[in-house]
Amino acid sequence: MTESATVQEQPVRLAELRSKKPFYFNTSEHLLRIGREKATNLSELLDALRQCPVESVFQHTFRTLQEHHFIRHGFSNDFAQWADSACNESALAEQLASVDVREFTSLEELRQALVNILQEYVQRKPGAATRLAEEPFYFCVADIVVIPTAFAPDTLPGFADGLRQVSVHSIHHHFIEARLRLKLMSNDFSQWLLEEMHLPEPARAVNRIDIYTATMENVRQQIVRIVERALQ
Amino acid sequence: MNPQSIAEQTSPTNGQSTVSAPAPATPPPGIPERRKTVRDYRTPPQPQPPPHLDDYASIIGQSNLDSLRFLAQELKGKSIKMVNSTALGGGVAEMLNCLVPMLTELEVTTHWDVITGGVDFFEVTKAFHNALQGNEYQLSKHVEEIFLMYNEQNRQRMQFSEDFVIIHDPQPAALVRARTDSSSHWVWRCHIDLSHPNSAVWGFLRPFVEKYDAAIFSSQSFTRQLQIPQYLFYPCIDPLSEKNKQLDDATIQGVCDEFGIDRSRPIVTQVSRFDRAKDPVGVIQAFKLARKYVDCQLVMAGGGAADDPEGVAVLQEVKAAAGDDRDIIILDLPPWCSLEINALQRASTIIVQKSVKEGFGLTVTEALWKGKPTIASAVGGIPNQIIHKITGVLVHSVEGCAYQIRFLLTHPEFAERLGKNGCEHVKENFLMTTNVKRWLLLCRILQGKKAVQLPA
Repeated sequence: MTESATVQEQPVRLAELRSKKPFYFNTSEHLLRIGREKATNLSELLDALRQCPVESVFQHTFRTLQEHHFIRHGFSNDFAQWADSACNESALAEQLASVDVREFTSLEELRQALVNILQEYVQRKPGAATRLAEEPFYFCVADIVVIPTAFAPDTLPGFADGLRQVSVHSIHHHFIEARLRLKLMSNDFSQWLLEEMHLPEPARAVNRIDIYTATMENVRQQIVRIVERALQ
Repeated sequence: MNPQSIAEQTSPTNGQSTVSAPAPATPPPGIPERRKTVRDYRTPPQPQPPPHLDDYASIIGQSNLDSLRFLAQELKGKSIKMVNSTALGGGVAEMLNCLVPMLTELEVTTHWDVITGGVDFFEVTKAFHNALQGNEYQLSKHVEEIFLMYNEQNRQRMQFSEDFVIIHDPQPAALVRARTDSSSHWVWRCHIDLSHPNSAVWGFLRPFVEKYDAAIFSSQSFTRQLQIPQYLFYPCIDPLSEKNKQLDDATIQGVCDEFGIDRSRPIVTQVSRFDRAKDPVGVIQAFKLARKYVDCQLVMAGGGAADDPEGVAVLQEVKAAAGDDRDIIILDLPPWCSLEINALQRASTIIVQKSVKEGFGLTVTEALWKGKPTIASAVGGIPNQIIHKITGVLVHSVEGCAYQIRFLLTHPEFAERLGKNGCEHVKENFLMTTNVKRWLLLCRILQGKKAVQLPA
């Protein structure tokens, strides 16, 4: 068999290849509970961030990205947004916004990273620490419910079809929240492409998509394109 | 009311356009030619049948509808009772009129009961309502007895056999004394701002509130510290209602023609009652400052002047502030002019909500839903809706508002981006379908079916 024949036959095989485990598309829905912690200045924010439940850290970082999935630019997490709009501390906001949730597989580690930034800032600028914010920061907690969808493909074309049809909440669930479940610097899509379909390159390409410069709808389209390219 | 007296008129003392509706079918002589197509607003339109869930698929997507159906399926066989104090009028009744049919269509049996009471009861509950939002009030033993007596009468009249009992607002809050079956779940849905309540009234109601399994508030800033879990349910709009549904351009043009609005020039609009809390005079001041640099018209569309003495006074203040400015169009519309409000919002280039005090601010939600760049004050529930410079702009003064009008009119690409983001924000958080989802999620969580524990 010539090399070109192999290349020509490959798409047929890949499109028909069945995984041992289907990809079960789920989605997660959240109900917002109002937390006990509240901050009216940066110093209070630091104290509350140290004490709040991890579900609050999740809400104001991971979950807020789902809630604001339509924003392409300028929104990272609720703490950064508040530091900018309510405290007028753009330098701090920039630092907080640069915390990439995808660098963390543990909410406690993420909490510590945010605490470190805030602590260093209020030590350096004590005047800013106690200046009253324009509006308080209210800590909330996300109560999460995972919901199955009708899509459970075991082929790449079926996977692409599922990606096109599920909600952006499902994309967020598998692409961003998955890190906390997997405890890996990866996501459900990449894991399935790698472990079930043995496609390391598309798995890597999916994992490299930048969530902070794209809406969740853009993320969906980029993943679909990567899968379609693999099928070509 | 004499139709002639409510006709569109130009004040003899100033020249600004003032339209009062209901308007006569035939315009009076002497009004400008461009306004001779006025319609008869005297008859409220027939109520429309409630939409079906499938009608929302094109708005929220089939996958989101599937999630609603999945959540509802888990509640099959369970029942919900909603109790409030009025079947007609007001935001709560409007919301329940939409929510109850949707839950029923999802096969979650939902009953809606309205409490009854004498004039004395509703006088007390109105006073409570105002006191809980910060007004001065002298609470007496007699008043407490009236409140408790009517709650007891309603408790005896009603059945509470449902799995979930949802009590809306303070009026029926003491019905929780009917709670006997520990397997049912009781929830208090508070639609008002409790951030600065009269301490005596709140001290009286709080023990009842803490007998519930959970309380629900419309904004984080409206809450009190309570011993029970507190959830956040944003108020919502129905995208298929007269006030929010898509309109064709001919309808929008027709409404603008009726009110003398020139669509070839930028239109800045505030929709709200003629109420000082909405700072209508501040809006006019901001408009006048902005117009030194940019050409635009101002539409002040609202109501409340017909049946509210203070509204009449505020309308006069607004007219005086407008002076003889023909680019300021003041519309005093009756409450059933939802379609006209919809058209005015859709015709607008920018929408302003410069309130000094606000509840949640559903007029902001309506503006954002229509993709309009929105400038609003950072009060009440508005910061929940407007993420500064992302889904709109927040302002704190007349001058700030004027600057943002100028900026958005001269930076249409930025304004368009705000509008698009605002619309998506509403789609994600403030639509009736999201409200249905929250109720289904809450019922599931109250049943102890929370599915996920987050790993630390």
